Amino acid sequence: MLFLQTTLNGLVLGGIYSLAAVGFSLVFGVLGIVNLTHGIFVVAGAYAAMVLYAKLGMDPLLAMLPIGALLFAVGYAYQRTVIQWAISRASLVASLVVTFGVAMIGRNLLQLVFGPDTHTITPSYSFSSLTFGPLQIDVVRLVALGASLVLLVLLALILLKTHFGRAIRATAQQPLAAQLSGLNVRNLHGLTFGLGAALAGTSGAIIGIVQPFSAASEVAWTLNAFIVVVLGGIGSPAGALVGGLLLGLINAYTAQYIGPSLTQAAMFLVLVVMLMVRPNGLLGNAFGESR
Amino acid sequence: MDRRSFLKTGAALAVAGAMPSVARAQESTITFGGSIPMTGTAAETGLNVLYGYRCAVKYINEEMGGVEIGGQKYKLGLNLFDDASDPARATTLIQRQVDEGIGFFLGSFGSNIVLPTCAITEAAGRIMVQAGGGSDLIFTQGRKRVFGIFPRASLQFVSSVNMFKTLDPKVGKISIMYTNDAFSEFQATGARKTIEEAGIEVIDYIALPAQVSDVSNVLTTIRQNAPDILVCTTHDETSTLITRQMVATNTNVPMLYQTLGPQTAGYRDALGNYANGVVTQAYWSERATFECEYFGSAAKFAEYYAANFDRTLTYHMASGAVCILAYVQAAKIAGSLDVDAVRDALSALDYNCFYGHLRFTPEGDGDPALLGPLLVQRQAGDIEVIAPGEVASAKPIYPAPSWQDRA
Repeated sequence: MLFLQTTLNGLVLGGIYSLAAVGFSLVFGVLGIVNLTHGIFVVAGAYAAMVLYAKLGMDPLLAMLPIGALLFAVGYAYQRTVIQWAISRASLVASLVVTFGVAMIGRNLLQLVFGPDTHTITPSYSFSSLTFGPLQIDVVRLVALGASLVLLVLLALILLKTHFGRAIRATAQQPLAAQLSGLNVRNLHGLTFGLGAALAGTSGAIIGIVQPFSAASEVAWTLNAFIVVVLGGIGSPAGALVGGLLLGLINAYTAQYIGPSLTQAAMFLVLVVMLMVRPNGLLGNAFGESR
Repeated sequence: MDRRSFLKTGAALAVAGAMPSVARAQESTITFGGSIPMTGTAAETGLNVLYGYRCAVKYINEEMGGVEIGGQKYKLGLNLFDDASDPARATTLIQRQVDEGIGFFLGSFGSNIVLPTCAITEAAGRIMVQAGGGSDLIFTQGRKRVFGIFPRASLQFVSSVNMFKTLDPKVGKISIMYTNDAFSEFQATGARKTIEEAGIEVIDYIALPAQVSDVSNVLTTIRQNAPDILVCTTHDETSTLITRQMVATNTNVPMLYQTLGPQTAGYRDALGNYANGVVTQAYWSERATFECEYFGSAAKFAEYYAANFDRTLTYHMASGAVCILAYVQAAKIAGSLDVDAVRDALSALDYNCFYGHLRFTPEGDGDPALLGPLLVQRQAGDIEVIAPGEVASAKPIYPAPSWQDRA
């Protein structure tokens, strides 16, 4: 029974990791950018949900929609200006430095506006739990897993079934060919980045209910996203899901059977092993084969 | 400028640059240097300590017109920088201030920051008085110029165990949870030793990583082992996370005891009524009956603070303020601002103030018999002192109601 409970805990935790990482994975896969601002989008989503809940009484799950829309616009503008300029004037590597710098600015701005204190969002259901016989599960984390699955399926459908999704895939696979076919690649890069930011922001709304956050938490979410992508594979929602769930399970089994203090060590050990054995992750690079 | 004049001017400038803060004090201001977490993970409590420093300086400058030392009146000044909860940044800031000649330092918050920074001030022959580092390592490595308001971590649990022994039904087994950092681990080690010496079994001794994002699995263990008391020697954010997940997974224990966290406004905001029944440590209470020439009494300190600052008062503000008072009182006794004389006076300080009876052990930490923690429990929204018995304002609620009954 302990094993079942541990597995359940791991899967639920993995759902949060997946949701928080999918935007990072998309941007990495399509644009080739390691977006170190990703954690800022996650935390900004959490702060936005907190404000909407405190000022308007809007449930954080409902607030995912306006937050997604807002961060989509922010992400689009950010990519079309700062990142695009950096890449066009230097190289793709410059984006790493630029996003790192913007993340530091973003963190300090969030601290300036919201203060350095730890915050939480506490809707009425945030302390509820479900019991299945001897198994116990936190409702909010279950909701996070559900929301994660829904958003990942939606993203997969968008990428597979819509013109926009096909254009993104085409751009990721052969940017030059896509451009020659009449696609506005720069605009598509902006839209993809916006989509990534929107997904990060919506995950932040859920993370805000699940655990305390402050501006300083952004580092952990960028790092988690990076590990998830390395584990699962680049660019695909399925990769993010697999990577997230795997990370959650590694975390849970290590905490239960080896020692909770070694969870991060185990995560990084797996990261190193994956980079050596299968650097493209379990599901590979969704856009890589045509490149 | 001829060669002789050039050398004279150069020598004068070099001497002026190398003069420590004692020289600055001649300009009638005593400047305290240091760093404090104004941002980053330790910022919530770091700011609390900073507000305590500011409160004492404001009171002494504005209400007392400064302080008289060796026949001369001085104002106080703070020269504190944001270390962003980062030990590496803090050490750079402290080294720079040491190079600038600051002689009197106030501590940062968090043993992981205080430890490397006090090593710098000690090596430079400067003094640090701090209310942010309780790790044993700060006090057991032979330093002579580092003073802590709190007893070292391993000695902070005596009053807690005394309280545990009075509980009915009898406490038979305790689980301990700590994070992998200098303060938390030492406090947990001290707690374990003191609890076992009292004949109570420690059934779990669980180390968490320094940064914690999930404790679901640890709570599974707690539910299975069902301790009478769960002791968490964790910091603010982790304590909040643990309690939230305990509520959400319906993990009930007769007593949840967290050394840091429940004192903060963030914890209370996050947990609402669920914060009721949680036991924590407080090193000061505004209900205490201590009196002194500064502020008047504990209650008057709280009154003065509330009238001048808008950040919610916790014991950390009082602990921060008393660092300044310790310096001032020691300098008064020494009759000078000579660093060695002030150090000797601090070492021998035996002074009653609004905070309590201020005395340091030979190793520099607060005397555990005089400056050990009060134990407090939130009961129906009010903070009540539940131990030691002689200053208790209420009896402990034990066993605490289930989370469902606290909603």
